[in-house]
Amino acid sequence: MNVIELRGLRKKFGDFTAVDGLDITVRKGDIYGFLGPNGAGKSTTIRMMLSLIRPTEGTVRLFGEPLAEHREALLSRIGAIVERPDFYNYLTAYRNLEMLGRLSRADVSRANIMRLLGVVGLDTRAMSKVKTFSHGMKQRLGIAQALLHNPDLIVLDEPTTGLDPQGMVDIRELILDLSRTHCKTIFLSSHILPEVELTATRMVIINKGKAIVEGAVQDLLNAGRMKVTIDVAEPELATASIQRTPFASRIVGNAEGAIVLLLERAEIANLVQHLSSEGIAIHSVVPVRSLEEYFLDLTRIPS
Amino acid sequence: MILTVLRVELTKVFSKWRTIIGFLVIAVIVPVVIVAMKVEGMRFFQYSTQALQDAFTFTGNLMNGYTISYIILGMLYIHVPFLTTLVAGDILAGEATAGTYRVLLTRPVSRFSVVTAKWMASMVYANLLVLLMAILSIVIGLLVLGTGELLVVRSQIVILAQDDIIWRLASAYAFAALSMSTVAAIAFLFSSLVENAIGPIMTTMGIIIVLTILSSIDTPLFDPLRKVAFTSHMIGWRFFFDQVVDWSRVSTSALVLVGHIVVCFIATQFIMHRKDILT
Repeated sequence: MNVIELRGLRKKFGDFTAVDGLDITVRKGDIYGFLGPNGAGKSTTIRMMLSLIRPTEGTVRLFGEPLAEHREALLSRIGAIVERPDFYNYLTAYRNLEMLGRLSRADVSRANIMRLLGVVGLDTRAMSKVKTFSHGMKQRLGIAQALLHNPDLIVLDEPTTGLDPQGMVDIRELILDLSRTHCKTIFLSSHILPEVELTATRMVIINKGKAIVEGAVQDLLNAGRMKVTIDVAEPELATASIQRTPFASRIVGNAEGAIVLLLERAEIANLVQHLSSEGIAIHSVVPVRSLEEYFLDLTRIPS
Repeated sequence: MILTVLRVELTKVFSKWRTIIGFLVIAVIVPVVIVAMKVEGMRFFQYSTQALQDAFTFTGNLMNGYTISYIILGMLYIHVPFLTTLVAGDILAGEATAGTYRVLLTRPVSRFSVVTAKWMASMVYANLLVLLMAILSIVIGLLVLGTGELLVVRSQIVILAQDDIIWRLASAYAFAALSMSTVAAIAFLFSSLVENAIGPIMTTMGIIIVLTILSSIDTPLFDPLRKVAFTSHMIGWRFFFDQVVDWSRVSTSALVLVGHIVVCFIATQFIMHRKDILT
């Protein structure tokens, strides 16, 4: 079942096109990474998904139903953080959750609100006014309000911004737990690429309002050339040997006994076989392709 | 559901300092005016009836609780709109300023319900301000200054008997509540257009001041303006202190004010329905 279907989604602000015919499909149970550089149209897309902004063209379907026609019913199944975690600063964390929970028809019993505040580590500050909170604490409160009504789809826009390293790990584990244990679908927009790499199952990268690439995270990372670091016993001999093969032009560096090459996945075995046949001892072969490199490769290309 | 949203909106409105300040101002000014009138009231009375002193003899407790309620209603007519706009001008724009539209409008509640509940909360606030002013001025006024006849000096002198005053004061304050609701509705409309509460407050007060000035200039050029400007009709409470109440003028003014409220409400709903939330 598709939880999110965006079809030909477009948003223009005057002459500026923020989102340009975007098509996205998110399936039930996905942790879906939503990536793009600043100004790519991520927040505008999320706002259209939550009916904060009206699309100029295209449709948003959630849980198979058009958002425009079933707004309230669909929003009751979504919890979201949209950009900065802003709250009613003159009210306490508890009162903020109680009010927002009432509007979401959630269980606003003291026990449930305190349980949620406990999940995000704010139970000891429940009765503090939000104006006394740091950005990281507001971010945690934002996650609590997104979970208030036990939604099926959770939209998280930069959920770890402002958190300390432990907070980032906590939120990452919470996201994985929500997906694995509670079968929630997560739509995760983030600039912190390792976070997406570690949590997302599928992802899309958008730039200038258009999807550049979409698919399973590991498939995308494994496709094309990647950096391969080969640690050998005799680097000079190994380098000279590689220079005599078609892989000569793929050498991009040497470091402390290791040779770094740009190879496609299928080529790794051929190179290892070649070095072995030349009698060169291989200590390790480490293919590395981070999402960060992949992201930069794609978004550097003028589109 | 709309009652739930209203409950939430009232919680927000009555948790803000600007709301409390409105009530505090009324709670301080009214007793201060009453005490001042207790001390200096007769001098004020003699000054305001200076032109009549040679022709008439005034006897009895004319600076009484009813008189002070009448005076306070007239005196605070420019101050209470300001207090009203402080809250009504902030109720939508404040969400934009604080960035809280994002958590509010992603709840499973229609925008119509949110806007209606906010409008109702503005009305509750405006009406409570007038109610507080009425209760304080009448109760404290009667306790401090006692009862008596009400002498109204305008284009003619009207002397109202004690047993003929309470219903007139109650009606005048009810009309004042309608007037403040109109001010609240206008500030509410401006609040939907901008992302900062200062704009709606300044614009609404500016309109009140400009229309009041233009309406008071006695030239035929401004006759059409006087007929439709809400400021001309806000002073309709005075009709209740004529010897014989002109109900057609009262109802005309009331209808004009209700018309302003309805138009502002519909316009705000339309604007908010189409508004892209970018803050």
